[in-house]
Amino acid sequence: MFHNRAEALALALPAAIFAAVVFLVPVGILLSEGFRSADSWTLSAYSDFFSLPINRTVFLRTLKLGAAVTIVAAVIGYAAAYAIICLPAASKGRMIGLVALPLMISPVARTYAWIVILGRTGIVNQALTAVGLTDAPVRILFTETAVFIGLLQLFLPLMIISLVSALENLPRDMVPAARVLGANWLQVFWKIILPLTKEGLVIGGTLVFTGSMTAYITPAILGGSKVLMLETLLYQRVTVASDFVSASVIAFILIVMSFSTNLLLKRLATARNRK
Amino acid sequence: MLNKTMLASAGALMLTMGIAHAEDKTLTISVYAFAQDEFKQIVYDPFEAKCGCKLVVETGNSVERLAKMEANKAKPVIDMAVVSMADALSAARSGLIDKIDTAKLSNFGKLYDIAKDPNGDGMSVGYTFYSTSIVYRTDKMKIESWADLLKDDIVSHIAFPNVTTNQGPPALYMLGEALGSNTPDLKGAIRAVGAKADKIVTFYVKSSQLVQLMQQEEIWAAPIGRFSWSPFTKLDLPLAWATPKEGQTGGMNVMVLTKGAKNRDLALEFMNFWLSTEIQTKLAEKLVDSPVNAEVKVSDEIANNITYGEEMAKSLKLIPSDVALDNREAWLSEWNAKVAQ
Repeated sequence: MFHNRAEALALALPAAIFAAVVFLVPVGILLSEGFRSADSWTLSAYSDFFSLPINRTVFLRTLKLGAAVTIVAAVIGYAAAYAIICLPAASKGRMIGLVALPLMISPVARTYAWIVILGRTGIVNQALTAVGLTDAPVRILFTETAVFIGLLQLFLPLMIISLVSALENLPRDMVPAARVLGANWLQVFWKIILPLTKEGLVIGGTLVFTGSMTAYITPAILGGSKVLMLETLLYQRVTVASDFVSASVIAFILIVMSFSTNLLLKRLATARNRK
Repeated sequence: MLNKTMLASAGALMLTMGIAHAEDKTLTISVYAFAQDEFKQIVYDPFEAKCGCKLVVETGNSVERLAKMEANKAKPVIDMAVVSMADALSAARSGLIDKIDTAKLSNFGKLYDIAKDPNGDGMSVGYTFYSTSIVYRTDKMKIESWADLLKDDIVSHIAFPNVTTNQGPPALYMLGEALGSNTPDLKGAIRAVGAKADKIVTFYVKSSQLVQLMQQEEIWAAPIGRFSWSPFTKLDLPLAWATPKEGQTGGMNVMVLTKGAKNRDLALEFMNFWLSTEIQTKLAEKLVDSPVNAEVKVSDEIANNITYGEEMAKSLKLIPSDVALDNREAWLSEWNAKVAQ
């Protein structure tokens, strides 16, 4: 398309400079805080961070909730995405619109709605009491369960949309052919659907996992300070203790976790491929 | 004709220069982002009209604003700021603020004693204060002591302020007082809260969230600042403001003068204006800030929604700023170890 490489580079230059000046440089400065002591470079901020039990708990909780949300989103996402691609074209468009609808609503509004739904007098507790599963209202708000539900609802659309576009590229007769040849649904999924849609799963998985780990509003509102996550801990370190070094350490951990997830998912996808 | 035109032009020019000169007189203040529309109407606009100067208002939370003052220490931008008592002491220790020449504040004598020199270093003057006590459902419980919050039948229906909020340490301080273990490190109270942390509904960060939780019957009681009381009175619920036997605690916000401020006299003039009976009354009537000026008189209805009166001012048990400042980090680590874990 371009006459030479220089022309392409010249066109990309303004965007690259912009990204470098307003993103890479400030992020670099911020992250370097965590590796600096008075006169040298050190990892002591990291060992200090992980030496505190509370920080380890928060780190593991963030990892655990992020992983749980991603796995459940993938399971529900595959089912929903498969159902969507089987619909006629017009209904498919409408359905994708409906899936994407929550993304257009502010996360603050969505999360506040969960406070009403998950509360002692909310619809979930009413339903549990009505079917006789519990006598007194169960406490859901301000627990890990509440944060899990909030995050899953927040990020599930991203997984579904990624999987829909991956499944769309799957040849239509692939699944019926496998079924005719005697494969059960689990085999169809494991041997046909999963290998052929892994790109979508990697994209969806990365978006959901990174989103869950870095979300602030949902854990802050639905978990409060009883369910601290890395993001809420970061906020606490800055606003209360003015501890920018710990904040920089947490920011670095989050970035590393996001990149690692992407690499790990890609690796898993290619490992299956080689087989 | 030419002369007349020249005269008119010269006149216009002088007038413009005069205006420009007035505009040159600029006072830069740093305040909380809270209720800025009301402050503009009641304080800023009338002061600009009075002094013929321009007011530049910078807003933000105290961490951001203090960080900015520290960054501009060599060449201060802000002339005066309003911060919490503890933050004022922190700014004083960092050499960011100066002594306030109270002889230049004609309204200084009208202030309650508690507001005159809260940190005892002559570097701040209180402009508003608030009490902290417990809002509770009268049909579900009776609160006579801070320790009642941790009773078995009550604790699973309360929201307690997080230690990171302004209400957290004062509430813990009073709880410690009630439990008979009141040391500046608040260890006794934090341990007691930690022991029941699983039962407590939440450790709130924003008091605005509590109104919804109270309405949903998620909670029946919570320690709050008096400035958050008004929305609770609008709920159709039997709610009361507790007067625990250990007393009420609270906090105070103060005015400080930046060291090396360019417009020192103007800043003092502005402080004096804010402390005047007229302005303090107007702010109280709009339920923006509780008055520290003893001459302020308001209706019972207003008084009921703010922290008001000499008796109240005398009875407040405030955490001394040095205790707050020296223990802040330790409170947080203790809290994270015993409660947030």
